Amino acid sequence: MIKRYGKVLGILAGIGVLTACGSTNPPTQQLAETETVIRQAEQVGGDEYAPLELREARRKLERAKNAMDDGDYEKAIRLAEHARVDAELAQIKTMSGQSQRAVTELRESIRILKEEIERNRNRN
Amino acid sequence: MKNQLLIWMLPLLLLFVACGGPPAENPLLNEAAEKFDSAAGDSTIVRFAPVALKEAEEELQVSRELWEAKEDKVYVDHHAYLAIQKTVIAQETAKMNAAQNEIGRAESERQQVLLDVRLSDAERAEERARLALEEAQRERESAEQARREAQELANRVDELEARQTERGLVLTLGDVLFDFDQATLRSGGMRSVRELANFLETYPERNVLIEGYTDSVGAEEYNLGLSERRANAVKDALQERGIPENRIQTRGFGVEHPVASNATEAGRQQNRRVEVVISDQEGNIIERE
Repeated sequence: MIKRYGKVLGILAGIGVLTACGSTNPPTQQLAETETVIRQAEQVGGDEYAPLELREARRKLERAKNAMDDGDYEKAIRLAEHARVDAELAQIKTMSGQSQRAVTELRESIRILKEEIERNRNRN
Repeated sequence: MKNQLLIWMLPLLLLFVACGGPPAENPLLNEAAEKFDSAAGDSTIVRFAPVALKEAEEELQVSRELWEAKEDKVYVDHHAYLAIQKTVIAQETAKMNAAQNEIGRAESERQQVLLDVRLSDAERAEERARLALEEAQRERESAEQARREAQELANRVDELEARQTERGLVLTLGDVLFDFDQATLRSGGMRSVRELANFLETYPERNVLIEGYTDSVGAEEYNLGLSERRANAVKDALQERGIPENRIQTRGFGVEHPVASNATEAGRQQNRRVEVVISDQEGNIIERE
């Protein structure tokens, strides 16, 4: 029981700290990191495989910047975290899509090869 | 101990008192819990994306605890959203890892199939080479066979003492092979006919035209008759040896077509003869006009 409530209290305390710190230090570092994750997602081909997630990430990062400019650092951090998780999803979705396409292409090439063998046999 | 618990719980109690009643339902948290439970029940995700799944669980846990603590909806939603996205990340990670495994398997299968293609190409090439060899062998054998047959024919023609003329192979049975002024074959003539019959048995596609000739001594009608009778005597002898009648034609020419002068006894003897014209392989014989 103690442990459980302790954890909740810890989180509450953490939020309190975040709020407290937010008022003093703008989360520039966190926004920059999020931007990097978005760029990585773009580089692997996210616009083709996960355009919606990537768009979400960009929009949220934009809103995070606005919040930071407005001095609402806590909101800026929340939005940056959302943008980051969206960008991470875009990345993994892209890589997953590419792998699945590779599987399909491999299977197709195997099928064609097998057909060729069959044709050769029939020619003999 | 009891006091300590009370001190810990005091702010919470205050919070409960402040808001009153149980926390209101949070749709986003419910959705996150639902999605996470379904992902956690998927053996592929558990197997291929355990870390991402764990991260989703942690976010869900945070969101739930905040909700239970009646924290601001913004914070509960924040972590619920992170939980949802991390759950989807876990799903996609599992899909990617499964696909990567599949790529490995398919790649090795492709290598095997490529090997099979090369093997089947090699087999085909081998088969073609074998067929070509067999064809060459057959051609060689058939050429050899033709050569042997030609040689055999030449030998048989020699034995027959036939000669090659513009009408084909011609065997001449001379006067001495017949009884004087008769159509009966002597033993020497019978030997020639035997050899001819053997020849015709060996070459069933060849037919014969038997032609009788005489010298100019005596009545023309008589000579014509004698030449026909002698030709027929040869035909009968061949038939006796099993040569079917349809392969044998006969003709008497009498005094026509002498091969030597009828002015001398030697010449007349040459003119008294029977000629056997042997057909070509198609059974054709060039007849005299």
